[in-house]
Amino acid sequence: MKEQIRQLLEDSLPLVDFDSDFLFAELDSLGVTTILMLLSDTYGITLEATDATPRNLKSLDSIVAMVERKLTAR
Amino acid sequence: MRLVDYLQQNALRYPEKTAVVSGGESCSYARLWQMVLQQAATLPAHQVIAFRTSQTIDFLVTYLAIHLANSVAAPLEKGMPEGLYREVSARLAACPVGDNAADVLYTTGTTGRSKGVVISHAAMIADAENLIAGQGFTHELTFVAHGPLNHIGSLSKTWPVIILGATLHILDGLKDAGAFFDAFRQEGRYATFFVPANIRYLLAFDAKRFAALADCLDFVESGGAPLSHADMLHLCELLPRTRLYNTYASTETGIIATYNYNDGRCLAGCLGRPMPHSKVMITPEGKIACQGDTLMSGYLGDEALTAGVLSNGTVFMSDYGCIDEEGMLHILGRENDVINVGGYKVAPTEVEDAAMEYAGVTDCICIAADHPVMGMALKLLVVMKPDTPFDKRSLARHLAARLEPYKVPILYEQVAAVARTYNGKLDRKHYV
Repeated sequence: MKEQIRQLLEDSLPLVDFDSDFLFAELDSLGVTTILMLLSDTYGITLEATDATPRNLKSLDSIVAMVERKLTAR
Repeated sequence: MRLVDYLQQNALRYPEKTAVVSGGESCSYARLWQMVLQQAATLPAHQVIAFRTSQTIDFLVTYLAIHLANSVAAPLEKGMPEGLYREVSARLAACPVGDNAADVLYTTGTTGRSKGVVISHAAMIADAENLIAGQGFTHELTFVAHGPLNHIGSLSKTWPVIILGATLHILDGLKDAGAFFDAFRQEGRYATFFVPANIRYLLAFDAKRFAALADCLDFVESGGAPLSHADMLHLCELLPRTRLYNTYASTETGIIATYNYNDGRCLAGCLGRPMPHSKVMITPEGKIACQGDTLMSGYLGDEALTAGVLSNGTVFMSDYGCIDEEGMLHILGRENDVINVGGYKVAPTEVEDAAMEYAGVTDCICIAADHPVMGMALKLLVVMKPDTPFDKRSLARHLAARLEPYKVPILYEQVAAVARTYNGKLDRKHYV
């Protein structure tokens, strides 16, 4: 799943370094919106702006963990 | 009177009133005036002074201090690449400007290439008075500005705020939605400005918290790009007592007309009646032309370019429009190749020129593509030399080192050839 999410996000945000551990700091409003929209559409999960926290968007691993949590809770 | 003269006046009238809030700090009118006075003493006079736009109190201090020093403020994009920033700053500093000039705002706007638009002190005050009369800015209002303050959409709202002695709350974008909603926590009356992408984000991911603002939001303005009718209807439903404005404005014309679509009719494409300092007319070709006190003085250092847009006190736009029987302006489309990305106008040629400098690119075309957030995004179609690998991220980084961030395409595709017309020009219509 991690590589699938990486591919999905890198395709839409080519300037963002998804290997960074400070991912949230690299993102702008549009980047955050794009991530929420792509993940909710692709995985059929409900994401809200309150999910866009520095902790959830800290790194690719934390994004994957958030998706897994949402899938489990679905 | 200049904007900074109103600041001085309000520092005496309302010394303790909060003028500006940002990042947990707040600053009274008396304190803001003191900081502006101090900084102005360090600045040269009669010069165009460029500076990077920060979304902080410091931005407002620097901006107003430049005016007080009788110089001209040129706020540039925060993320402008360093080389370009130095080049533009040096060019601006060497440019002579008239005594009445207040700002030089960089825009792609109506002509399709980046240039500095000169705004006079008088135009700035006329814009502010248009907003006060047209949208109901008041002394009691807190305006939440989260958009870039070098862009007329957000910058223009600081003008009525200062004139009226109201409060400005500056945020750095909408990335931190919590900070955005926190800005409305104190009891009071509020207003804000969105580009359509902001509204789509809040409607899609934070509609509950957005709806909870219904009782404190006096008005919401949207501009920069057309808001979809579905989003307009959704907003009317969510904020039933809030005035919701679509506005016709540009850096070249100033703030011209505005329409509260929360009027029970919610007319799509309607931009309302001209405000007190403005007149709108439709040319025989069906294009919008504007007159009045809010117009730009011209493009900095480019009389020929100015003459192509501004003549006889009229700015001729590339937008097609009509005026209905109620005197309300409606926009029907745009003539030139400029692509509107989340409220920013981008000339595709500028992107293509930068892409052609990338090793291995033999041809390319920058087009508009549908985007679920921004409505419109930039897409670059690239033809590579045979046997040269196409590295999308490397190309994106190459462009980011040369262009402002909003001009860097999000979408890329390697193609065998790009469409050209019979005389060899890029055929943009092929991709519409």
